[in-house]
Amino acid sequence: MKPKHKKITTILLVGAVVFAVIVGLYLYAGKESFIRTTLSGLTLGSLFFMVAAGLSLIFGLMDVLNFAHGAMFMLGAYMGWQLYTNPTFIFGMLPAIIAFTCGVMMASVIKPFLIRWEISEKWQKALPKIAYVLALVVLVLAFLNFNIMELASTAMVAATTTTAGNPLAEISPQEPLSQFWFRPVLLILSGLLVAFASAKPGVKSEFAPKEDLLKKAIAPIILLVLTVVATLIRESAPIAILLMNGNWRFIIAIVVAVIFGLMFGAVVEITLIRPLYVRPFFIVLMTLGLSFVIRELVQLLWDPLAYQMVRPPLFAQSGRAANLLQWLQNGNATIDISGVTFPTYRLFVIFLGILMFAIVTIIMTKSRLGMIIRAGVQDPQMVEALGINVRRVFTFVFAFGIAMAALGGIGAGPFLPIQPLMGDQFQMLGFITVVIGGMGSYVGAFIGAIILGMGRAFGDYFALKLSLSPAIAEASTVIIMVIVLLIKPQGLFGKKE
Amino acid sequence: MSITNSQEDILIVDNIHTYIGQFHILEGVSVRVPKGSITVLLGRNGAGKTTTLKSILGLTPPQDGKVIFDGMEIQGKRAFNVANLGIGYVPEHRAIFRALSVMENLKIAERKKGDFDRSADFIFDLFPDLKRLYKLPGNHLSGGQQQMLAVARALVPDNKLLLIDEPSEGLAPILIQQMMEAIRTLSEKTTILLVEQNFIMASQLAQRFTIIDDGQSVHNGMMADLVNDTDLIHQYLGASIKTRKELEMEHEAQA
Repeated sequence: MKPKHKKITTILLVGAVVFAVIVGLYLYAGKESFIRTTLSGLTLGSLFFMVAAGLSLIFGLMDVLNFAHGAMFMLGAYMGWQLYTNPTFIFGMLPAIIAFTCGVMMASVIKPFLIRWEISEKWQKALPKIAYVLALVVLVLAFLNFNIMELASTAMVAATTTTAGNPLAEISPQEPLSQFWFRPVLLILSGLLVAFASAKPGVKSEFAPKEDLLKKAIAPIILLVLTVVATLIRESAPIAILLMNGNWRFIIAIVVAVIFGLMFGAVVEITLIRPLYVRPFFIVLMTLGLSFVIRELVQLLWDPLAYQMVRPPLFAQSGRAANLLQWLQNGNATIDISGVTFPTYRLFVIFLGILMFAIVTIIMTKSRLGMIIRAGVQDPQMVEALGINVRRVFTFVFAFGIAMAALGGIGAGPFLPIQPLMGDQFQMLGFITVVIGGMGSYVGAFIGAIILGMGRAFGDYFALKLSLSPAIAEASTVIIMVIVLLIKPQGLFGKKE
Repeated sequence: MSITNSQEDILIVDNIHTYIGQFHILEGVSVRVPKGSITVLLGRNGAGKTTTLKSILGLTPPQDGKVIFDGMEIQGKRAFNVANLGIGYVPEHRAIFRALSVMENLKIAERKKGDFDRSADFIFDLFPDLKRLYKLPGNHLSGGQQQMLAVARALVPDNKLLLIDEPSEGLAPILIQQMMEAIRTLSEKTTILLVEQNFIMASQLAQRFTIIDDGQSVHNGMMADLVNDTDLIHQYLGASIKTRKELEMEHEAQA
């Protein structure tokens, strides 16, 4: 019974301290400032959580410190912003991406036949290399004379020249189908070559039963159909989306950012991180390098400028709503909360953060996948020995973490300038959140994010009120981290090693 | 030592070599496990018994040699594929998932939906204690309870072969008895390959043995022959292990 007593005492003690701090701040700042600052803190905390949750899960399960997390946050913001302002670029690239994926996914279908192919060891080694080179050549051929920069610039123009009245003004005609059709075809071919190489032709020790071939063929066939659809709707889809109500467009932008995050995360894990699990230090360097590559690519496509995303109509009308119902009816930009005027969009960000916390909690505690993740954090080898494909779980967790970061990015889009460096600060704070909350704990990430957000908000408040240096808000982060680490070196919810 | 493929062997390990990092841990291990039997791997600490089990499962894949399970070559396959062919693993030090409850520790071992419901009665008959502890988190269990849970976890799906590593390690004598009974009951249902330092336990349970010394399998045969072969036991298993004969003599002397 002794440990239980100790636990209760700790909880009471922490509860008392937290309560005292809250009451103290309330009395000092007064009701209005207290509510306003708390809400600002929660807004920041929500964003910190969306970055930190992924970082923490990824580190907890696979010991990977992802230094490209901030860049992926930024990419999420860019993708959402693209779709919201002018999706020409996204829909222009879509057929190419789906076509290539379709080819690569054929691997599971052709592998059972390829590994049973009787070829000498020399060819077993040479064939994949030849296939990879050929795939690259075909890939280059597929994009020959394809003007990516022009596609990318459409949204840029739409954002810089205010065409708020007529969003369709910037739709530019694309390559006609008679010229375009060979690109997806070549990309499928290129993907097939990659599939051929990755299937390791002739290698007998590989494991791939011939059963369920039809089931394995479903995914590539669906992708093939999608390739055709995406090729046909290249021009019409952006127009259709721009004709939609801004709120719907914003929802689609969020969905697109999340799907993009899932796909991008899965691709990065499978192609870049998986070969490096045996060399953890290389993973750190690789992700750091990846973050530079992503940033440079974004600068290349959209110039190193900062864009302001137009707020969706639900958060754009001037005037203050008296309550939630009135806001939802009129779409006011601000709302009255116990006498405090607060931007409605920030309220939405808080909601998004809490929603994500709820989703993560449900996945982790109620689903079989969550069970496997919790077990894998402790002992991935034993999980594998039970007959569970741990690598696939790794891929999912990485993809899910990146999707959360991307969601954070598009969530921040409407109130932070969208620029290539926007994710860096969040990555830094995300890491600190994880350290405070404890590695591998999503609850820790949530509590840590709220504490850091509050520290920021109240730091700003005190700096303003007592005319201190504004740096005190930033310093609060480090001060909180030092205090927590002094008391609990493994973080608030971290397990003792 | 020649190994012939016989219909009755569910597992044949043929001259495997395993490296961990640069260390050549297994330098030629061969084991045969006849269907329906208990076979025990004997040897000193660090001889390579645990690595042999891990190599069979694919957790430390062998660089050379063959592992044939149920007539199928499985060396080089990934561990989860091997396990799904019907091999259950009870590792050394139990490896219970601390963050999961007892129930979840069992449920995670399901390969098909409903595996656990089918095997629950059998498991709780074997280890009645677990039923009582059902909702507790894994880190609240005692050593003996953890060991029971680790064995129970391997029983959730229908396994054709169980690899059990040191089930008696760190257990009180009374629990060792219980564990022995449980393993004997299990052997009626399935085949078992056991690693066991406790020679008394091993000699009472197993029908066959393989001795591993310095990463090589040096001897195998029937357990009934080994218990009387004092020289062999002393040569490979150390002087600390006493044969049944010696124990009986001591017993008589004390009496």
